[in-house]
Amino acid sequence: MTYFAGIDIGSTAIKVALVHGDGTLAGAHVTASGSLFHKNAKEALQGLLDRHGLRREQVRYLIATGYGRKLFKEADDSISEITANAIGAHEAGKAFGGVRTIINIGGQDSKAIQIDGEGGVVNFAMNDKCAAGTGRFLDVAARNLDLDLEDLGDIHFNGAGAALSINSTCTVFAESEIIGLLANGHGKGEIVAGIHYSIARRTVRLAKRVGIEDRVYFDGGPALNKGLVAAIEDELGRQLVVPEHPQTTTAFGAAILARSEYLAEQGDEA
Amino acid sequence: MTAAAPNDFARSKQAREAENMLDHIVDDFDDNLASMTYFYDLFRRVYIQGEDIRPKGIQVGTTCIQAPEELIHAFGAHPVRLCNGSYHYDQIGADFMPAKSCSLVKATLGMLCSENPVPRVGKLDLVVNPTTCDQKKKASAMMEGMGHTVFDLELPNVKESEASRVYWQRSVREFAERLRALTGKRLTRKNLLAAMAKTRRAEMAFRTMDTFRQRQPAVLLGKDVFLVTNAFFFDDIERWTEAVEALNQELAARAESGVTAAQRKAPRIVFTGSPPIFPNLKLPILIEQAGGVVVADETCSANRMLYDMTAVDEWLVNDMVDSLADKYLKPCTCPIFTRNEDRQRRLLELAAKFSADGVVYQSFAGCQVYEMEQKSIADLLNAQGIPMLYVETDYSPDDMGQLSTRIEAFLESIKTRKRNRK
Repeated sequence: MTYFAGIDIGSTAIKVALVHGDGTLAGAHVTASGSLFHKNAKEALQGLLDRHGLRREQVRYLIATGYGRKLFKEADDSISEITANAIGAHEAGKAFGGVRTIINIGGQDSKAIQIDGEGGVVNFAMNDKCAAGTGRFLDVAARNLDLDLEDLGDIHFNGAGAALSINSTCTVFAESEIIGLLANGHGKGEIVAGIHYSIARRTVRLAKRVGIEDRVYFDGGPALNKGLVAAIEDELGRQLVVPEHPQTTTAFGAAILARSEYLAEQGDEA
Repeated sequence: MTAAAPNDFARSKQAREAENMLDHIVDDFDDNLASMTYFYDLFRRVYIQGEDIRPKGIQVGTTCIQAPEELIHAFGAHPVRLCNGSYHYDQIGADFMPAKSCSLVKATLGMLCSENPVPRVGKLDLVVNPTTCDQKKKASAMMEGMGHTVFDLELPNVKESEASRVYWQRSVREFAERLRALTGKRLTRKNLLAAMAKTRRAEMAFRTMDTFRQRQPAVLLGKDVFLVTNAFFFDDIERWTEAVEALNQELAARAESGVTAAQRKAPRIVFTGSPPIFPNLKLPILIEQAGGVVVADETCSANRMLYDMTAVDEWLVNDMVDSLADKYLKPCTCPIFTRNEDRQRRLLELAAKFSADGVVYQSFAGCQVYEMEQKSIADLLNAQGIPMLYVETDYSPDDMGQLSTRIEAFLESIKTRKRNRK
């Protein structure tokens, strides 16, 4: 059996996806990037292969994406995470009737991508430099509130009053704003909802810049957070398409591309 | 050797930054043109070894391409552009400039107040500061506070009206008056004609180089073009012209023999917005490292500076000054002007003439005019089917990873677009 793989080496997590010879998903895996991301990336790939009882030779083509893509020499090729994300979302979105806009929130950045009917990138926007509105922002906020990152989603719906507004656009300032709200006796639920709405507003603004069309796909680690999903849907005024494993869409896209690159190469040789 | 003084340390930081960029420009690409060696060496000497290459005589610093250099030459003085692209000086400027101000203005002022400026501007006899954007305008008083003598060259906000034209012509005449007082020389038909001829020859050399960029596949990379045009800021004008003429000969030979500087399908990019100024060639370098080619630009550190020439059909010295003034006002496509259809027209013209696949628009964070104008330019280009990537950045190296992702994605989307069109 032949397989193709994509590895998305992000700032926070490493995602690996494996597709069958026919392009359908065989499996995916997420691990933390840590500080030794090159070693961890190799282990993540090997771990996924082991779980499926595969040898490295069975993976015919491997494409790397994400910030660590250029340093991962084990890959056959690399591609930017925007293109990979577009391909992955286009493919995964078929099950939902097709998607044309992608909102992706990662560890260090957030992106909005508009794609055409074939999954080609038409337009995209990315936050400039600052970590406000990214996974990192949620991480810092959770720590300030003495909560686990995974719990933010549920707490969002527990707020007694309306969501508080968090106005600071900078992670560091937002941190002091959150501490101020806590000091004023506000409940964690209201604050968490406030944080989610603040990220949602920034994200929707980004998406409006590229133009929102048709169904909107939401992926990246923070898409696992139900509270954030609800907040974005609220701000967007429409439902989001959230895949079952939102973290691995980009790695999946890279794996699909690995397959088509391999087939193209074979075709050239034939 | 004596112990390193604090200034030497500051210089070494600046020099490391320059060296790092030069290494990218030279080593990251194969088959560099032999005649580019002159420029690579020039930047090494000036920016890394700190060599003072200025000619003897009266030095006039200029803060913008809107200052008529021909006039300075005519009076036998030497113009030196003060625009600076060094992160090191940007950080010095950040000590006293507002956090949200533009990198270019911060770095220029940072350089001017440091004891060891690079390139060695030394003692400036005069700084001419055209009243262009607000930040440069406000810089006049700050430069005076640093001990420089500043002449405000009054530029109007509108360039179309006759009133503004007359106003500007008068400003330029006053500038000539000031240069007369400074140099003790008279402006004559003869010395102005000679100065115009010298500049025109430099502009001709630039134009010839620019036409080579229309070729497909590319014979010349944008990283080299920006280095060449940046050298115009401080090099001796005649030596510079000869080096560009030599470059043009090599380009002609290359074109003849079919040697190319990039892949046949490399996306062709028009660069616009805030100017790439050495050593901040971050964005053009990233584009070309990612496999694109900057085939044309609409910036004041290259095309806008050297493209338009003076047409003299008046033969009295005052009328010649007026026609010189016209050259510095009428064709200028800087976004500081209100109503800026000219810039839009120019961008479309460049995209068509240089067979561009897309436009990369750089805005230095804090440069309001470019930030504001990007939307209308993006709308215009998109309506013509030309994709545009807008990048807000500054001189710091922090965002290189993020920027390379965006640029690669942009180039990948251009390639997909072209494949699908077939």
